[in-house]
Amino acid sequence: MIRTTSQLISLHTKLEEEAAEKLRALAQYHTGAAEVLNRLADENMQHRDTVTRVYREGVTDAFEVGYLSQPLNEDDYAINELKGPLREAVKAAILNEDDVIRFCLDASRDANQLIPGLPQTFQRLAKRKEKRKALLESLV
Amino acid sequence: MPLSPAQPGCEVTSMVVLDEPIKGVVEVKNYIDGEWAESSSEDYREAVNPATMKTLAKVPMGSAEDVRAAVDAARDAFPMWRRTTPLTRSRYFFRLKELLEQHFEAVSRVCTMEHGKTIDESRGEVRRGIENVEVAAGIPSLMMGYNLEDISTGIDEILIKQPLGVFACIAPFNFPFMVPLWFMPTAVATGNTYVVKPSPWTPLSMVKFMELVEEAGFPPGVINMVHGDVEPVQAILEHPDVKGVSFVGSTKIGRDVIYKEAASRGKRVQAQCGAKNFLVVMPDADVESTVPGLLSSFFGNTGQRCLAGANLVMVGDDKKFIDGVLNKIQKATQNIRIGYGMEEGVQMGPLQAVPRKQRVLGFIEKGVEEGAKLKLDGRKFDCGEYPRDCFLGPNIFHDVQPDMIIAKEEIFGPVMSVLHAKDLGEAIEMVNMSSYGNAASIFTGSGKVARRFQYEVECGNIGVNIGTAAPMAFFPFSGMKDSFFGDLHGQGRDAVDFFTENKVVIQRWP
Repeated sequence: MIRTTSQLISLHTKLEEEAAEKLRALAQYHTGAAEVLNRLADENMQHRDTVTRVYREGVTDAFEVGYLSQPLNEDDYAINELKGPLREAVKAAILNEDDVIRFCLDASRDANQLIPGLPQTFQRLAKRKEKRKALLESLV
Repeated sequence: MPLSPAQPGCEVTSMVVLDEPIKGVVEVKNYIDGEWAESSSEDYREAVNPATMKTLAKVPMGSAEDVRAAVDAARDAFPMWRRTTPLTRSRYFFRLKELLEQHFEAVSRVCTMEHGKTIDESRGEVRRGIENVEVAAGIPSLMMGYNLEDISTGIDEILIKQPLGVFACIAPFNFPFMVPLWFMPTAVATGNTYVVKPSPWTPLSMVKFMELVEEAGFPPGVINMVHGDVEPVQAILEHPDVKGVSFVGSTKIGRDVIYKEAASRGKRVQAQCGAKNFLVVMPDADVESTVPGLLSSFFGNTGQRCLAGANLVMVGDDKKFIDGVLNKIQKATQNIRIGYGMEEGVQMGPLQAVPRKQRVLGFIEKGVEEGAKLKLDGRKFDCGEYPRDCFLGPNIFHDVQPDMIIAKEEIFGPVMSVLHAKDLGEAIEMVNMSSYGNAASIFTGSGKVARRFQYEVECGNIGVNIGTAAPMAFFPFSGMKDSFFGDLHGQGRDAVDFFTENKVVIQRWP
């Protein structure tokens, strides 16, 4: 279970890094879509860094000790392999985006009392990831 | 492995254990005149990770000779440093801030390893420290004096703020990184030079910090560090070139040793001391937001902070409301996960050292003897695979009376004492009866009640719907009564005034 802010940030990092890794691997097999896929992977890394920065700049010794009001289950969020023809792989990539969006929204809700700016950052990322889905769909 | 509470129903969670930045045993050295130097003392103590009980460092107990060398270096560096422009001085702090950001995670992990607090708490501590560096970087504005033309015809008067020379800090174990930074950045940015003496229990956060000071390129002698215990403290207090001392620690040492001895030698003193903080819950408080604030205040940093909640005062006779709040607290407290702070899911670490745990255990026994009801017994928490030496679960006493020892004396551990007051007046009376005056908080939905509380309570730091009223770097860390000895507090404008002398110039040019 995810109970502390530190765990929350680590899980977010893991999701973004895994999503990027999968997109880059896919780009190697589908050179026509490589530019978009690599750009999305770069964006995953930017999202990771944004959240880490907001956390580090907002954390203080007075915050409520990272107690999430409702613990999250890390098994509820997973990044799947992107295999098969491009159409199939893009479908899986969109499902991955959905998982990360759901994580961002859940984190936004539960991080509400923890770090100033963190909930808004997660909400902003969720919106951006919705736009990424449209971009992925455009590949097929 | 996490430590599992003895209470049933707590699931075992998967934990990410962070990599430990300290491998092996560090031979701790002083940092004097820009060089890492062996202490002249032959007396060494081991600094131990309180979660694993592994030795982290060998720490010299220090000597008067070490202090003399550090103060001499600081004194010699002062004339050049005070002539360095405030803008240039501030740029050193911009560089230091950048380095601290780069090494943020490593410093935080060192802090957790030597203190035992959770990694979230350590990161919070490091952030608080960096904020003081950021404030110090604004010294060209903060240090400005003021003036008035024509105080008499053709005569102007100017106030200039000037540095005094060498200042020193005697730091505590509970915030090994943050507390020295309450003082040092402002002191140095205003043109003084500095000697830090970290706690011998937790010296490594400051060692890491000094490595970054060195990398930032501060001139030799401007910032120095001497390790040790009693002898270096006495030497700092006696050295004629030390112009002022900042101290954080117990009231007994702060009042009877630091304040008395430093002041008697004409030094400036700010001694931030012990506390017994009351958190008052009114019947109109918002329960959902109040309970997390209470938990954080009482059990954050394992209760080892001078802003920690100690006494919870439930106001009124609404039994349903009071029982509801206390049940929520009890349930949430039982679910606090205790363990090594380097495991990310841990919410409370061990006490910092064995003697501190023994002291807290003594108070728990005292509370039971006095007739308070121990509703949650932290002594029964299972320690899993970790050595039991420093671990103690959270404790909750009900039916505590204001005249009991556990309600009056500073425990400095994870112990909540629940008291009752018939109305706000009685609650304020309880707060003001305490010899301490560090912090007090009220939880209420009424502005009128909150205003009366902040107006009448004799404490330096007041929280309104805030569990831990910790002032930011640009406000003074206040404190009254037995919680503070001196005139000007750490941080904020108080700090600028503490580290500077006001010089008035009256001039006429005929």
